Amino acid sequence: MTDVMTPKAPQWWKKPDVKKTAILWVVCTAVIGYVGAEFHVRNMVSPASETMSGVISLMRVFTWAAAPVAGLVAAMCLTVLTSKRHYGDNPPAEADHQVSNSPRATALWIVVSALLCLFALVGGFIVIQKDSSSLFDKSALQVNVTGQQWLWNFDYENGARSEDLYLPVNKPVVFHITSVDVKHSFWVVQMGIKMDANPGYTTEAAVTPNKIGVFDVRCTELCGLLHAYMQTKVHVVSQADYDAWLSIHVQIEKGA
Amino acid sequence: MSVETHAHHEHPDVVGSRNRLGVILLLVADIAFALSMVFVYFYLRGQNVNNMWLPAATEEHAVVTPLSASPGWTVTAIVTFGLLAHFYGLKGARSKNQTQLKLGSLVAFVASVVAIVYQFNTIATAPFTFSDGAYVSCFYMFAILNFVHLALTVFISLGNWNRARLGIYVSDHWHVDIVRVWWVWMVVSSLLGAFALSNP
Amino acid sequence: MTTVMSKPVSAPGKSIIEKLNFFTALALGAISAIVVWRLALQFLPEDTEVRLFTREDKITLLSMTAWLVGFMTGIGALVGPFRWLMGKDLSHEENMFLAGKDMGIKRYFRYTTDHKVIGIQYLVIIMVIFGIGGILAMLIRTNLGSSEGGWIHPQAYNSIVGTHGIIMIVGTIIMVTGPFGNFIMPIMIGARDMAFPRLNALSFWLIVAAAVPLLWGQFLGGISTGWTAYNPLASQAPLGMDGYIMFICIFAISTMVAGANITTTVVRMRAKGMTWNRTPIFVYGVVASVALGLPAFPVFFLSQIMSAMDRALDTSFYNTAGGGSGWLYENLFWIMGHPEVYVILIPAIAALMEMAPVFTRRPLFSFNVAVMGIAGISGLSVLVWAHHMYLSGWAPLLNTPFMLTTELISIPTGMLFLVLVGTLWRGRLWMTMPTMSIFALLWNFMIGGITGIYLSDVPADAFLHGSMYVTAHFHYTLIGAGLTGALAALVYWFPAMTGRMFDKKLSWVAFWIVQIGFNIAFIGMFTVGLAGQPRRVEAYASTFNTGNMITTGGAYLIMSGMLVLLYGVISSWKSGVKAPKNPWQAKTLEWTVGYPVPLENFEVLPTVTSDPYGYGKAQS
Repeated sequence: MTDVMTPKAPQWWKKPDVKKTAILWVVCTAVIGYVGAEFHVRNMVSPASETMSGVISLMRVFTWAAAPVAGLVAAMCLTVLTSKRHYGDNPPAEADHQVSNSPRATALWIVVSALLCLFALVGGFIVIQKDSSSLFDKSALQVNVTGQQWLWNFDYENGARSEDLYLPVNKPVVFHITSVDVKHSFWVVQMGIKMDANPGYTTEAAVTPNKIGVFDVRCTELCGLLHAYMQTKVHVVSQADYDAWLSIHVQIEKGA
Repeated sequence: MSVETHAHHEHPDVVGSRNRLGVILLLVADIAFALSMVFVYFYLRGQNVNNMWLPAATEEHAVVTPLSASPGWTVTAIVTFGLLAHFYGLKGARSKNQTQLKLGSLVAFVASVVAIVYQFNTIATAPFTFSDGAYVSCFYMFAILNFVHLALTVFISLGNWNRARLGIYVSDHWHVDIVRVWWVWMVVSSLLGAFALSNP
Repeated sequence: MTTVMSKPVSAPGKSIIEKLNFFTALALGAISAIVVWRLALQFLPEDTEVRLFTREDKITLLSMTAWLVGFMTGIGALVGPFRWLMGKDLSHEENMFLAGKDMGIKRYFRYTTDHKVIGIQYLVIIMVIFGIGGILAMLIRTNLGSSEGGWIHPQAYNSIVGTHGIIMIVGTIIMVTGPFGNFIMPIMIGARDMAFPRLNALSFWLIVAAAVPLLWGQFLGGISTGWTAYNPLASQAPLGMDGYIMFICIFAISTMVAGANITTTVVRMRAKGMTWNRTPIFVYGVVASVALGLPAFPVFFLSQIMSAMDRALDTSFYNTAGGGSGWLYENLFWIMGHPEVYVILIPAIAALMEMAPVFTRRPLFSFNVAVMGIAGISGLSVLVWAHHMYLSGWAPLLNTPFMLTTELISIPTGMLFLVLVGTLWRGRLWMTMPTMSIFALLWNFMIGGITGIYLSDVPADAFLHGSMYVTAHFHYTLIGAGLTGALAALVYWFPAMTGRMFDKKLSWVAFWIVQIGFNIAFIGMFTVGLAGQPRRVEAYASTFNTGNMITTGGAYLIMSGMLVLLYGVISSWKSGVKAPKNPWQAKTLEWTVGYPVPLENFEVLPTVTSDPYGYGKAQS
């Protein structure tokens, strides 16, 4: 791409700065792709659902897709920076050319960025379709989530209510989320789902936990004084444990 | 600095066209404002959250019925009359008829005063309180904004008439042209409010 | 209306113009506010049981409005309109007085209409804004130094976060178009002043007037809602919220007036021969920025008026119990909120594009693509707002179209990269702080841009939204790209504005400390965001401790770099090396007038015969 900026010169690829940029491009792309992808993947929480695994691989793919562009910009900058530099209070001599555009380079650049854009769109679109179809899963477990300043309440199908969320592993669940006061946002961190809790409305989010363990629920919409403390735990347990917990919990509710 | 090159002695047409563009750009902002009010109106009407767009009767108050459409249309009619009067005056200015200009400007000013009094009366005698649901909120929003617009119109048309009276517009009349732009927008914005409020 | 008159009327009221200044404005504003406050306290009816807590809001809003009216009257903003009304337009002498002719330092404290005075006024007020916003940022970072909530009370902490947000947003909106758009841009296009000099003064003094309600609000419970002020949280917030509302309303008026003024200036007042393809790219950036504000800020204005009505009159725009909707607020807010980030970004990048040919001694690469990029970003930016609401649940079906428009913005943004990289390529690099800022911008904006692609993707956003990752992302765009460009512009245009060179050594030291500190701080913030720390929290799980410590350390580095820069500004302004007439050997018009720039800039208006990027040796 760099090449076409001097279309008049024959054998542009033999120019030393072009060669240098080409080598740097390969190196920079590899470094940026690897470092960028690893930075994201290693810092992200380990997934507890298929959705979250999807997010992680999506980010890995996007990083590698963006790496050649970032790598090219970096390579060209490095080439420029390592070429002759002028320090001093007076300007250096004029550059030895007056190239003020290059239709080929421009066209190529726009086409490539459009293709990358399309790629990102299609990637995202496929995942959206998958996610939104799971909202209509009739066989899924239905849990009502209610946010209030500053705690979460979970209501289960059989009338039980809790402040910690309990879910059976490997069973789809659909959350019906609302709020009684101001806006909150329901984030199950390790499952990669999030949906705002709006007063006056009910919104939906769906996920299938695939790992037994204890995970985090945090509020991600500033909701007043104790917003930072509006968090709770998700206990993902086996179906048998879940049934046992639910039956005990209903009795507690009724007893109280 | 010679007089010819001085910025404040440019040709009136140059200055006039510059001013017209400035006013139009400010109107772009005002139009964006008015359109977002229309957006608010239709959003709340479409959502009808908790069925409180027009709340049903409760023990405390009777059912909220939307205003009849007539006040909004009446204001629009009055400002349309003002626009026509101003236009008549402008034609006078263009044909060097100062009497016609003065008469048109005066009538336009009177129309703006009538309109603002009427608008104030509509707000003051509205048969509901602020907390009577989303439709009522929108009514107050449109009515108060129209009141503010009318206050500006009173100021502008008063100045326009006063300046016409003093004979300032004898040689060039681009001010009068620009005031016409404002009057047109005044009519359109009244119309928007009237149209929205008469379709609950 | 301007003052052009074919038949000047003699001016008996001249003395009132001479009497008014900043101090009469302060006095009149304070007196009006106090009088209205006492009257409202006396005569407003008590709250009924049905409507609680509306009386205090009415009193607060009325007094703040009285402050605004009093201040603007006291500064002399109403003189022009009333003289127009009376048919006694300002005479030439009065206009020259207003422009600050032969007035010395006093003109900076008056309703002065000279665009150069206003540019300097903006520069100073922006330094004040960044100073306050920066102190608030340091309070936030210091508080987050330890995990279990620091020494700041949660209510105060939330208010600091909200105030830091809104004050920095306002500061960055005006940081390029304010000082450089006002001081440099009219000279750059060969004009004697702005199209509407009095409106220009109005824009500036409205910002000064707006500062007071914001400050006032800090003593009434603060802005505890974050800068977004989402409803219904805002309607239950303390009286400080009214300060926010007034601040936004006044600032919106200022922005709209400035937008109309600057756009008119550029469209109508360019020098003879300055066709659109000879107009410097910086001018395009400024116009795109302020023109984008014209449709965007009224929406914000309306959203706050409705917020005020909900609070003071008990209407129900956002109150779901009364038929309102919180989603309505979010829509209105982000219809302004997204164009606004480009309002900040575009002029900063355009300023660097203006400098790139100067410091590489070659023509700007693909001027047309640069214009297309700016136009494309501006056009698309009004169609993407709902990507801030992917997860609010208001319309899940619209997520896909909004994802489309959002990701499309990467194409015009890529064009700006192409222009900058293309200009650097095979240039003769003149190493100055602005030159290095171009590289810094490319680096930072690349990170900001690519993280933006993850965030624009709905499934990834479902994880990242509302986390520290978002905070780091927009700081990368607003500081990493925006502020970097603005600081480069400061060093570049410093000689034109002050007649002295910016101290070279200090500019380098400040540059490196700020850039290194910035990258440390916000890379650290990315890590805690990815690990799951929400935004705007005053306490966090101890697993996030390391990342937060890194961020806090980086923030202190930024602060020390900015202090070096501040010292550089003051010392260079006072006793820097006297600048030669055109120190960078640039070809734009602002370097032809010398220093001090005479009132009305040009004795004879220039004629332009080529574009300003004719660098480089012609090839045989």
